[in-house]
Amino acid sequence: MKWPFAAGLPSAGLPSAGALIPRNALVWIVISQFALLAPHLLRLPLWLVLVYLATAVWRLMVFQGRASFPGRRVRGVLALAGFGAIYLSYGNLLGLEPTVALLLIAFAFKLLELVKPKDAYVLLFLGYFICVIGFLFSQDLLLVFYSLLTLVLVTTGLVALHRPHEDHFRMSSLRQPAVMLAQAFPLMLVLFFLFPRIGPLWTVPVKSHAAKTGVSDFMKPGDISSLSQSAEVAFRVQFEGEIPPKSELYWRGLVFSVLDDGAWRSLRYGELPGLELRPAPVEPTGDLLAYTVLMLPTQQNWLYSLRYARAQQAGILSTADYRLYSTIEIEEQLQYSVRSWPTTLLESELSSWRRATELALPTAGNMATRELALRIRATAADEADFVDAVLRYFRQEPFVYTLQPPLLDSVNPMDQFLFESRRGFCEHYAYAFVLMMRAGGVPARVVAGYQGGEINPVNRTVIVHQFDAHAWAEVWLPNRGWVRVDPTAAVSPDRIELGLEQAVAGEGSFLANSPLSPLRYRGVNWVNMLRLRYDALTYQWQSWVVGFNGEEQYRLLQNLFGSVRAPLFAAVVLTSGVLVLAPVAWLLLRRRRARRLPPEQAVYLQFCAQMASRGIVRAPGEAPDKFCHRIDKELPTLSAWAQQFTRDFMQLMYSGDSLKPQSRQQLLAQLQLQLRRGPREAH
Amino acid sequence: MPSDNPRVFASGLRMRFRRWLARRIPPSRKVTLDQRRIFIFPSRPGFFFCLLLLLILLTAINYQNNMAYAVAFLLATLFVVATLHTYANLAGLTLQALTATPVFPGQRSEFRLRLQRGGQAPHYALRLAWPQGSDGLLSLADRDSCEVALFVPVGGRGWHDPGRLLVESYYPLGLFRCWTWVDLDMPALVYPQPLASADLPGISSELPQGSSVEIAGSDDFHGFRAYRAGDSLRQVHWKGMAKGHALQSKMYGSYSSHSAWLDWEAFPGVPSEQRLSHLCHWALVLEQRGEEYGLRLPGLELAPSVGDTHQSKVLAALALFGFAGVDP
Repeated sequence: MKWPFAAGLPSAGLPSAGALIPRNALVWIVISQFALLAPHLLRLPLWLVLVYLATAVWRLMVFQGRASFPGRRVRGVLALAGFGAIYLSYGNLLGLEPTVALLLIAFAFKLLELVKPKDAYVLLFLGYFICVIGFLFSQDLLLVFYSLLTLVLVTTGLVALHRPHEDHFRMSSLRQPAVMLAQAFPLMLVLFFLFPRIGPLWTVPVKSHAAKTGVSDFMKPGDISSLSQSAEVAFRVQFEGEIPPKSELYWRGLVFSVLDDGAWRSLRYGELPGLELRPAPVEPTGDLLAYTVLMLPTQQNWLYSLRYARAQQAGILSTADYRLYSTIEIEEQLQYSVRSWPTTLLESELSSWRRATELALPTAGNMATRELALRIRATAADEADFVDAVLRYFRQEPFVYTLQPPLLDSVNPMDQFLFESRRGFCEHYAYAFVLMMRAGGVPARVVAGYQGGEINPVNRTVIVHQFDAHAWAEVWLPNRGWVRVDPTAAVSPDRIELGLEQAVAGEGSFLANSPLSPLRYRGVNWVNMLRLRYDALTYQWQSWVVGFNGEEQYRLLQNLFGSVRAPLFAAVVLTSGVLVLAPVAWLLLRRRRARRLPPEQAVYLQFCAQMASRGIVRAPGEAPDKFCHRIDKELPTLSAWAQQFTRDFMQLMYSGDSLKPQSRQQLLAQLQLQLRRGPREAH
Repeated sequence: MPSDNPRVFASGLRMRFRRWLARRIPPSRKVTLDQRRIFIFPSRPGFFFCLLLLLILLTAINYQNNMAYAVAFLLATLFVVATLHTYANLAGLTLQALTATPVFPGQRSEFRLRLQRGGQAPHYALRLAWPQGSDGLLSLADRDSCEVALFVPVGGRGWHDPGRLLVESYYPLGLFRCWTWVDLDMPALVYPQPLASADLPGISSELPQGSSVEIAGSDDFHGFRAYRAGDSLRQVHWKGMAKGHALQSKMYGSYSSHSAWLDWEAFPGVPSEQRLSHLCHWALVLEQRGEEYGLRLPGLELAPSVGDTHQSKVLAALALFGFAGVDP
């Protein structure tokens, strides 16, 4: 009993329910923040990264007691300054990038308000969202693995928040969240494949600041050679049949028909007369090539395909110059199936507008080149002969194919190229060739795209890199229509047969700016094999997972279940939910059930229960002999039975090792028998 | 029955809930938590998490982004898995009432409980709280059981029922609140409020209060006897024990010479609660002086004696006087 005057002690022993964030949780929150920020580093202005570092240092100093939390006013000023700085950096607040920057700066400043568990929830939930935002920029396989790790880290922060007694950092906190996410994984897969894919509900901010990549819609000498320094993948192609020889793989993307201000450009939509807007009807002839192109985002509209291509897919148009064109800019990867008939005759009759357009030349400039063309044209019998003669000219004169062409003057670049430097890349040759064709009266145009590609032996895809970018020419010949002519092939046949790397092997300029690209180590066999295997995996990933859409889903479900109906989906989700969660529940609760009592104790508890049904309840902690004594007094008729039972039980419990296992078993069996027969009342 | 008055309606609902709870989780001094007794519902952060899921799903739909879909579904499934983990954090836990310390009105009674886990799996961040009482947060991570003391302010004289004990947990993610209300059937005894009065017949109040602590020297020591449960700790012969002898109590001759009766009838005309308060006061005073005292209440008589056990009996009799059907 408590002495009255000493009452009112403080409640000892228990800490009050969690008012503060455990230290372990704080450390995990900061770790997860850094991990979440890392993939965005290159996209963010430098000052934002510095702001984040400063807030993290500040918060850790608060943690060590060397600084205090900023006041309300300071936080308000900081928030406004951050807002303004983002507006100044991006020029607006509406695109995806400024939105992400705003989120990240909120994420950083929230760290300075991290006092109570409530703040930690806000921060961690924001963390989940920032992880998702990263996927809007890239869904690369490596990034996905990394993001899974960040999800574990954020969840670790949540779990650590609920372990109030862990007051120092520990790695073991990772276990619980990793286990939980692993348990969640199978059902996620089911939902991923079954959840109906619907179109966008409303327009969302787009990546306004993302750099356009790949071939651009105009060409000056020097443009493509700079592209050739990049080892990035432009697209991957999977052929349904045999892969055609590399020298036939001319991936057409753009057609440049207009020479303006020393640069080639495509015809603008407004420049096309009404009749030329759509392609003329074409009867495909010759062999068919069927293939699927998986294109990476370019932020441009044009698609790449082999000559005379048709694609039957919503959002893809055919242009009058026989290219494929996407109605929207390609911001996400795009997969499209194409059928091509490379030997089809295109435009046996040229309209007068088309002829005039494909022959047009500026009034001045490159006059020496034009004169040379006229001289060669005079010696040639017909148009085809003229083409051959010009190609012969390139082949016989000492032209050099190089990635490092000298700069050309902007007034008469081709005169300088043909008669002085004679060193050039594909765009120089295509430019000069088309110029000479037009000067000689043959309709011609420059075509830009990619040439060749690397065949991955692992999965038989053709990988087309940025350095495969190429420019060539198309000339219109009577009865033969548009014919592809590649003047570069005349100068450097290796470029077409073997690829850029072999063609410029002598000058060591291949990927000179990407010293770490695995492509540079193709000579080392295992590195190369590893690279190709990873690329094959990437292709699978991008075509099956990232590219999974409504159509694919329909096909998959049709194959799996025979029909696609909503109730079926619901049934499958529910069934798999039960199938996945039941083992989890079993695993969790198995370790929490009350331990089984040793058999002798179980027997005694049964005895007590029988006594209780007769009105004698054993008090907690009452010794068996005392209890027996009480039975003796209160229910004398049961006395003999109870005494016998108690004696046997005490012998079983307290004789220890002196009892042989066999007699122990006998004694137990005897007790159980006594119980089954029930209390014998003495009469 | 729905009522026009919303407050009446609400209190009616509360009553019904209490009755339902009493049927579902009947009072017991030892309760093991299982699916009959555990409730679970999304917490506030849990609802915000659902909003977050919706936001991620909308992002996935509007950007047609499969990895955003994947995260949305992974977190949604994590939410479902969290129900199991949150439930498991309470499941199998056994609560056992130990003691409820008797106190005087206006004080806080100490309720001691034992928590025992069912298996080897850890239980984290269990919050125990009595309405209006203190609350505490504890984990059973590396031990099988622990004892907990909680303090609840008590009301007036008699048995004080602290109500149902709230056991709740948000572990592991905080997205769900898992809780139960258990009635551990452990009322605390509340003594009458001590109240000084004029001298009682046969009791001198000469000894001023406060100087009466030195009992050992105030009376004649006349020998030892074996310690009996209930002997005052002040009587224990600690020196002998330190030398390794069995526990003994010191006997004082004066105990038999003074023997006072605390009598209900000694306060004619005084209201009964006040009488109990006076009797309580004198019981405390006499116990402090180490003098024997007995208690006479209508229908009850306790023979004169002294010591903690005796005092407890006397105070309990005073605490429960007049409450029909309750046994001290």
